[in-house]
Amino acid sequence: MTKKTVLIVDDSLTVRQQLSLVLTSAGYQLIEARDGSEGMDAVRAHKEISVILCDLNMPRMNGLEFLESIKGEDAGLRVPVVMLTTEGSSDLIARAKLAGAKGWIVKPFQPELLLAAVRRIAGMPEPPA
Amino acid sequence: MPGDSSETRLAEIFSDCAAEMLSDLGVPAARLAGSRAPRPTGDSTAAFAAFGNEDVRGSLTLVAPSELFSRLHPLPPNVIPRDLDDWACEMVNQAVGRFRNRLAAYGTKVKFGVPLSALAELLELTSSCQAAWSPILFAVEGMVLECWLELDVTPDFRIAESPSDEIEAALKEGTIVLF
Repeated sequence: MTKKTVLIVDDSLTVRQQLSLVLTSAGYQLIEARDGSEGMDAVRAHKEISVILCDLNMPRMNGLEFLESIKGEDAGLRVPVVMLTTEGSSDLIARAKLAGAKGWIVKPFQPELLLAAVRRIAGMPEPPA
Repeated sequence: MPGDSSETRLAEIFSDCAAEMLSDLGVPAARLAGSRAPRPTGDSTAAFAAFGNEDVRGSLTLVAPSELFSRLHPLPPNVIPRDLDDWACEMVNQAVGRFRNRLAAYGTKVKFGVPLSALAELLELTSSCQAAWSPILFAVEGMVLECWLELDVTPDFRIAESPSDEIEAALKEGTIVLF
């Protein structure tokens, strides 16, 4: 089966490393971006992206701006974006949902729950128990 | 405690958030009485983020021996100085994030900026506020984590006595919601 590709958009190297460890060990391919602007470049360059995990509070282009920008791209229609952030406010979650986000994860994340969410959002079957 | 100044209560709310964060990192941490940490002998790392709204302005600076940030790092075998700087920023991000989420339940919404970090042999912090400024200290792994919470609130600002049931609570750390 072809490996699914996840784009991680987060300015924290530590978070990218953590996600990389969790997702590659589960068989995903990864592309990393350090802010929304690099994330947009990655989306344009890599048509194979299946899921995007995106931080909110980032320099240059933040997560909500990224969500707004991606709407104008082909990928905006087909690639689900899940926000991964320390923010938990209902206002922001509602804004992200309205802007097209498909999920919201409050850091710090639990690896097994994150994997289950990515699997579900990527349309992959659950592994056998 | 009811009757305490808003600054004192904000600091207590923050202290609980910092303790929760350390607990989530899987390390036993005990809040220390007093406000003086022993001067570290080796390198120190500091990370900082500012936050605020119309009534409350402030910043959080975490300071600790670089060795402590290294031990708290979620992927310790890979730790190099660049990783430590980044991890210190992420710890500030998570600490301020918790603080902001708890404050929202009191009807106080703050925004915060992107964290910055610094590595130094001797770190001396000074305050831009008039009020005396002292850190909240935690004993962690035989070392001391200093949490310098600087607060500047308007004279009319009063934080609610307790979290409101009428305000939708912020999602708890670790929560996942799919739409």
